[in-house]
Amino acid sequence: MKFSKTHEWIELNDGVGTVGVSTHAQNELGDIVYVELPKIGKSVKAGEEAAVLESTKAAADVYSPVSGTIVEVNQALTDQSDLINSSPESQGWIFKIKISDTKEWDALLDFTTYQAQLK
Amino acid sequence: MDFISNKETQNKEMLQAIGVKTVEELFFAVPKELRLASPKADDGLSEYEGIKLMEALAAKNTFPQFDHYLGAGAYDHHVPAIVGAVCSKSEFLTSYTPYQPETSQGMLQIIFEFQSAICALTGMDISNASLYDGSSACAEAMLMALRCHKERNKVVIAESLHPHYRTVVEQYLISHQTQIEVIPFLKDGRLDMDRMKQLVDDKTAAVLIPYPNFFGVIEDVKKVSEYAKKVEALTVVCANPLVYGLYESAAEIGADIAVGDGQPFGLPLQYGGPYVGYIACKQELVRQLPGRIVGETVDTENRRGFVLTLQAREQHIRREKATSNICTNQALAALACLTAMLWYGKEGVKKLALTNYQRAAYLKKRLQVIPGVKIQESAVYFNEFVVEFSQPIDQVLAYFRKHHIEPGVDLSRYFHEMDHHLLVAVTETKSKKQLDHYVLIAGELG
Amino acid sequence: MTKTIFEKSQVDQHAYSLPKDAPEFTEIHPPEKLLRHSTLNLPEISEIDLTRHFSELARRNAGIDNIFYPLGSCTMKLNPRVNELCAAFPGFTRTHPLAPEDSVQGNLQIIEELIEILCKVSGMTAGSLTANAGAQAEFVGIRMIAAYHAKHGDVKRTEILIPDNAHGTNPATAAMAVYKIVSIRTNAHGDMDLDHLRESVSERTAGLMLTNPNTLGLFSPVILEIAKIVHEHGGLLYYDGANLNPMLNVVRPGDMEFDVMHINLHKTFSTPHGGGGPGSGPVLCNDKLKAFLPVPRVEKRGGKYQILWKDAESIGNISSFHGNFAIYLRAYLYAKLHGHFGMRRIAEQAVLNANYLKVKIGKLLTVPFPQPCMHEFVVQADKYLDKGVSALDIAKRLLDYGVHAPTIYFPLIVKECLLIEPTESESKATLDRFVEIMTIIVGEIESNPELVKSAPHTMAVSRLDEVGAAKKPILKHV
Repeated sequence: MKFSKTHEWIELNDGVGTVGVSTHAQNELGDIVYVELPKIGKSVKAGEEAAVLESTKAAADVYSPVSGTIVEVNQALTDQSDLINSSPESQGWIFKIKISDTKEWDALLDFTTYQAQLK
Repeated sequence: MDFISNKETQNKEMLQAIGVKTVEELFFAVPKELRLASPKADDGLSEYEGIKLMEALAAKNTFPQFDHYLGAGAYDHHVPAIVGAVCSKSEFLTSYTPYQPETSQGMLQIIFEFQSAICALTGMDISNASLYDGSSACAEAMLMALRCHKERNKVVIAESLHPHYRTVVEQYLISHQTQIEVIPFLKDGRLDMDRMKQLVDDKTAAVLIPYPNFFGVIEDVKKVSEYAKKVEALTVVCANPLVYGLYESAAEIGADIAVGDGQPFGLPLQYGGPYVGYIACKQELVRQLPGRIVGETVDTENRRGFVLTLQAREQHIRREKATSNICTNQALAALACLTAMLWYGKEGVKKLALTNYQRAAYLKKRLQVIPGVKIQESAVYFNEFVVEFSQPIDQVLAYFRKHHIEPGVDLSRYFHEMDHHLLVAVTETKSKKQLDHYVLIAGELG
Repeated sequence: MTKTIFEKSQVDQHAYSLPKDAPEFTEIHPPEKLLRHSTLNLPEISEIDLTRHFSELARRNAGIDNIFYPLGSCTMKLNPRVNELCAAFPGFTRTHPLAPEDSVQGNLQIIEELIEILCKVSGMTAGSLTANAGAQAEFVGIRMIAAYHAKHGDVKRTEILIPDNAHGTNPATAAMAVYKIVSIRTNAHGDMDLDHLRESVSERTAGLMLTNPNTLGLFSPVILEIAKIVHEHGGLLYYDGANLNPMLNVVRPGDMEFDVMHINLHKTFSTPHGGGGPGSGPVLCNDKLKAFLPVPRVEKRGGKYQILWKDAESIGNISSFHGNFAIYLRAYLYAKLHGHFGMRRIAEQAVLNANYLKVKIGKLLTVPFPQPCMHEFVVQADKYLDKGVSALDIAKRLLDYGVHAPTIYFPLIVKECLLIEPTESESKATLDRFVEIMTIIVGEIESNPELVKSAPHTMAVSRLDEVGAAKKPILKHV
């Protein structure tokens, strides 16, 4: 699992990355009440907004850590947006993206580096 | 006069507590060259003089002396006495946005009930807490449709939409460089359906149809909405809400978004404002709805309560990505509108709408037989219609005014070719005697 | 358990009365096929029950007439009843917006004279009363700026500069006009970071939106420098008039080199807040921009007032008719009662009241910016976080003591902040009582923090489940 500076995590499997937000991010946002999921088939560039998380008091953009095409979204979040709070790095995954440039994966932060820059 | 409580005694004590000698010192950050000198003479008025001033200004308005038939988006309906009594309650009049819901349950519930009443009238699923007026409601609906269809940048509008509403729609869309196509109207004021079919296509985000239209004509909106659905364009209906007491609801005619101005319920003419815009939509569009929305919830003791909800759409959270910049809306005017709708109630609204229709139809019927007066017969109306006179319109207006009647809106100010035409509105406030008098004067024009 | 009016419906009951129909009316029938068939689900309720329903709701609400309301950025001053009295005169309420000019000379005189008064107060040369609230007025101002640049063929200006402590309507407005927002940082003293401004301004800058004093209640002493930087690059300056109260006849936005601005009449000019409107947002501007002002406009010619409905250079209409006439009518009277003399007094008293309160409250809460404030100030409740008490909790506990909470968590750049604006209306006794209450609450944080964390206890409801309301929205009576 790797992280972006903007608090997204990504796990790579056979050229497809599963993306979500970090424990730190969901903690900052509070109870997630709604998730605006991306459209399947949408192509995004690294750092581009792919999804939006809403709490009662804030809205936060989820940026794609890598460039590629959205191949799957976590439909469970439609009725259970709180999965992001209870299980942000597992069941609360947001979308899956077929990555187009593996060099971008290398540029992402590992867990220790991500934790360090939180301070 | 002023409404300042503290006087010299208190001010001295406060200055001392702060540790300055004069108030001027507190303005230290303001560059000296920008600071104005204090006005020397007291040019204010006492409360008595203020009232006298306003009485004199009100007296300069001679319009209230006329028996008028002006409509065009502002209708002369009876405002129930209870409306003023409710709206002047301190707890409503002098409160503000319900940011602390625990102390604002009254206003929050009122807004919830307003939303419910608008949904009841229009037949739509969700309503917001109000917008400024009918014109901005139309504009916001267009922006909403464009957000629902991010890949499209075209809207189609009926030319028979209120001309002021149309210019406001253009105002809101110009920066987006949205393509705006206009469906012309036929001789009888109805929509040119053939042209509609040519203009509404798969690049169209929404088609906006007035109901009734500016000429008082009831359009076959169902035909438009069925066609729009084929190309996945949204149908937006802009209606005088009273029309839903008689004719098919927005839901029945296939609207996706219903907008309009609630002024006919509970808001006096007051020279154009405040009125109250409404916007209501189907369930699936709720996240794109602009403005405030109140929702029901429970407190820690499981008691029912109300809160502002879905706030992440709004400017104070979403800022530049908000659905709209609207903050303060028309809350108290929405309360006036709600109170009137409730005063009439389920049966009263229907009776009110019917008598509006019948009184207008009566006047129309009687005018129709006067030689030299022409009224379109093919269209269906509500409480407003166009009358064509054979005499020059200036003469017509002058003669009616001599008899203390303001007979209608001169349509040449909006449509050059309609230079012998007046737009005439009739409400439940017109007695048979008044209507017969109008007919008499019209008959004398010959 | 509160009931909605829909739940109080009783079959066949009603309040209305209608004039009797002549048989000539009732014999005319509307076309069958267009009639509504779906049920009209409005309640059936009698006048007495309707009356009591609203009385009950009034008991569950509170306004300035009832409690101290130091809501920062909202200027909750007294809404004078004399305004209500005069706004209800039939001579005004019975005028139709399309009435012939010579039949509404009183209305037109009010419009023209109010614009003149507001121009004098703002240091501008022309204005329009047609925008219905501050946000809509901001949109008008930005559209006018866009029209100005378009006229000069300046198509590269695609950005609007906005301070990071600005009210949400500013970026939302700029976005509505399809501008890119460039955020300018605030420095440690609570003022605009001039270096960051210099870095951010360019030939792409259409304008800067600013309020002065800013949302922290602080007057920027470098305002002329800010104006110079933007103007030098060909940008224009928009003044958000939400914070005009301490400026009335002390300093004018026009003199601060702003080009266009709005005033919130429901803030500075006492028109009633109405639970969230209606407001009114007059737009004032200098000669550079006046050609672009919306229509309709009122002009005085040969002793008579006339309406200009269309104008080639104007940006067009912003509202259905003349704006919220009955609202700015109240502001007109308010301005005439005070005169320019009284308006100066408002500004001075607003600043005095605020600084007094700041000095007293400063003993209880963190004051991030120690210099004298204008009409409002920011304090922070962060020192109580280790007891688990936040600004929100303090706000809720204030309600139990019969005070409306100040604005909380705005501006966004200050942690655990409360933005307090007493206005010039309040007496010293009220301010002292507020300090007393805050002292008690701070004591409670020490001795019984749970009481504060679970407040309020004496309102119609306790804390509401906002998460549930957003997740499973119930937005109407079902």
